[in-house]
Amino acid sequence: MKRTGMKRSLLTALAAAVFLLCGTMPAIAAINGITGTTFNLTAKSGYISTAEGGSYLAWGYANGNGLMQFPGPTLIVNQGAVVTVNLTNALAVPVSIVFPGQTGVIASGGSQGMLTREAAAAGGTVSYTFTASRPGTYTYYSGTQPDVQVEMGLAGALIVRPGTPGQAYDHADSAFDHEYLFFLSDMDPNIHDAVAAGNLTPDTTSHFAVYWLINGRTAPDTMAAAGAAWLPHQPYNIMPMMHPGERILIRMIGAGRDAHPFHTHGNHHRIIARDGRMLSSAPANGADLGEQAFTTSAVPGSTVDAIYTWTGDKMGWDFYGHAGPGGETGQACVDAGVALAAGESLADHCKPFPVTLPSQETLTFGQFYSGSPFLGAMGTLPPGEGGFNPNGGFLFMWHSHNEKEIVNFDIFPGGLLTMLLIEHPSVPLMNP
Amino acid sequence: MRPSRSFWIGLSIILAACLLSPSWTVAGVNVQCPGDNDGDAQWATAGETQPGNTQCMHLAAGDGFVTMADGHLQYMFGFSDVTGVAPADVMNTGMLAAQFPGPTIKVKEGTNFYLTLTNVGMVMRPDLFDPHTVHFHGFPNAASIFDGEPMASISINMGSSLTYYYTAPDPGTYMYHCHVEATEHMQMGMLANLWVTPLQDGTDPGTNCASQKFVYNDGDGSTCYDVDFPVQIHAFDSNFHDLHVAVQPLPFALMKDNYPMLNGRGYPDTVNTAALPAPGENGGKDSQIVSSLITATVGQKVLLRVSSLSTVDYYTLTVLGIPMKVVGKDAKMLRSSTGTNLSYLTNSVTLGGGETYDVILDTAGVTPGTYFLYATDLNNLSNDSQDYGGMMTEIVISL
Repeated sequence: MKRTGMKRSLLTALAAAVFLLCGTMPAIAAINGITGTTFNLTAKSGYISTAEGGSYLAWGYANGNGLMQFPGPTLIVNQGAVVTVNLTNALAVPVSIVFPGQTGVIASGGSQGMLTREAAAAGGTVSYTFTASRPGTYTYYSGTQPDVQVEMGLAGALIVRPGTPGQAYDHADSAFDHEYLFFLSDMDPNIHDAVAAGNLTPDTTSHFAVYWLINGRTAPDTMAAAGAAWLPHQPYNIMPMMHPGERILIRMIGAGRDAHPFHTHGNHHRIIARDGRMLSSAPANGADLGEQAFTTSAVPGSTVDAIYTWTGDKMGWDFYGHAGPGGETGQACVDAGVALAAGESLADHCKPFPVTLPSQETLTFGQFYSGSPFLGAMGTLPPGEGGFNPNGGFLFMWHSHNEKEIVNFDIFPGGLLTMLLIEHPSVPLMNP
Repeated sequence: MRPSRSFWIGLSIILAACLLSPSWTVAGVNVQCPGDNDGDAQWATAGETQPGNTQCMHLAAGDGFVTMADGHLQYMFGFSDVTGVAPADVMNTGMLAAQFPGPTIKVKEGTNFYLTLTNVGMVMRPDLFDPHTVHFHGFPNAASIFDGEPMASISINMGSSLTYYYTAPDPGTYMYHCHVEATEHMQMGMLANLWVTPLQDGTDPGTNCASQKFVYNDGDGSTCYDVDFPVQIHAFDSNFHDLHVAVQPLPFALMKDNYPMLNGRGYPDTVNTAALPAPGENGGKDSQIVSSLITATVGQKVLLRVSSLSTVDYYTLTVLGIPMKVVGKDAKMLRSSTGTNLSYLTNSVTLGGGETYDVILDTAGVTPGTYFLYATDLNNLSNDSQDYGGMMTEIVISL
């Protein structure tokens, strides 16, 4: 069923794609965040946008005197570092931070709250210090009336890096070529509206989410550039990209009220760690106990690390569309000495495409369809079709498989959804 | 005012132009199946030869009706099996024939599988012109063109056919569903079971497995089973379906399921071994043909192929009185990367939408009788306001 809202979403996505693909933004690391050992955060308010046009009051942690942002700045630290987080409170209620998974957190200043020491309303400060003893993916969030404050946006990610670069943990099973944060949350706008109307302690027992977000954005804004000017309070994007055979590290955080079954189209992912601990039978055995899954839930407050790769093996046809000089496929193509693409499996090399695609007037085209079934190839499309895939990549939706969560309120598509882009080996990634 | 003569002449010219236009000659039902000459997706006609290692199937995608266990009639979208139907008859056969769940697809690992999907349109919603797809949920190393996710590929319009190809690369319990406007089409019922059986089937890995049937290529017989049954979790929000057939705006975020089901039925319909009575509203076509009654004799190993295509909630299933051995998750055998068997015994499994479990019930030493499989989220044991129903079925163990 066509909806006008979808058109608007698509225009937004088009704008996003143009931003991404024209390279007008400076290259930004895939996991955007702040590094160091001392972080100065400020709790403040601002407005976040949903892709169908909603705007809602939110609270969040800002980096220093910067804008409030949701999620809060991703704190990226090295294993063994003594980390200090100084929190200044610009909100009208006390706030704090807890660091689940960290031990020996020393809170100083402020006043004692229920879970930790808190910064007083309107200018109070508090400090937290801990040693980042173990590598992994963690979250941090407010420990003060968290049912309201986490819903309002006072939450973020903490990444502790091991000594070995390019790994999530101290084992090669966690090695990756690209890493991406998936901070999954949900939102009940009634709570935000109540706070905006001045009720700082709204009832949260009737929480009913109608928005679902990755890294603080609803689709298709998820795929817009990091730091997009029209999303000043939602600086983090999520559009994973890779080449065939490369390994993506998924750092997933259950940051909302509900769990969300996250489905990776294209292939399974191997779960290597939960809550910052490798799934190991013994420290030297890496992630040997990790299972492969095509759908994984990060329940609220938990984290999951997984490795995703895609090779196209056993496809039964040559997805590069290799052919001989006269268009030959099969053995004649092999005999013609047509070279393998980097990393291509010999088993399917030169094998012809197995079916005839229907004529174009019988088809509906996706915006990310290149017009060709082959990787790195472009085909002819009717005017106005396609356009979001200028290099002929393969795209796969990664999304919540509780499918009601891929809407923005009543507008489909949206919500907890993004697209994985697999580019031809010769194409540089825009969002590495 | 009656249309003028010139109107009719003009209309005739337009119609003639349409019929003569080359673009119209290529639309239509078009099965692609190697060795099949008459387009019925099988090799029953003289002169046709089934190539080795090849399987074909033809699905129609359209709308239809199903009956909830409390008698509530529900409008739905879905698939029906038109394999063996002549191309000229596919539209008539497929219209209003949607089944819930759709026809089960079962292929052997490594088979060249050609699945043709024909969009027969939604008879009850002539205002819609939705395309459809088949998403082979969970198939590894997929290509976008055959993934059925319409943003990244193509979907098929009414009156035409699209053929998908897979080699069924890895054994396990999968699902398939339409991915077009997925929240809507899946809530409406375009869902079904999809299983890939392993190459190890029919072989003897040196263990006691008389059936020679296995969930995976385990190498040691540890996933041996005697009988397998689908346990696919679905649920309907009757408000959504009722609004749909009434051509009303649809509530997406407010979707709230009130008919929890297994294989397209609520208890006690789940234990009916026959097709449910066909609704008159679809012309009397059987639309709920999958029974959930699980039967076995003492000593048999019962494989439950558990999957969820719920669009809203997580569900937890338990079997009262028989331990559940989980041997696979998401179409992967539970083994460590070094080969250690990680299967485990439990009393429940929890599934979000898009997850599958392979659960074996070993009935050796089990007292004959009737056992229950049901959702432990007990509010799901209802058919809307009718109690003693919903997501439950029976396991009958006999001597």
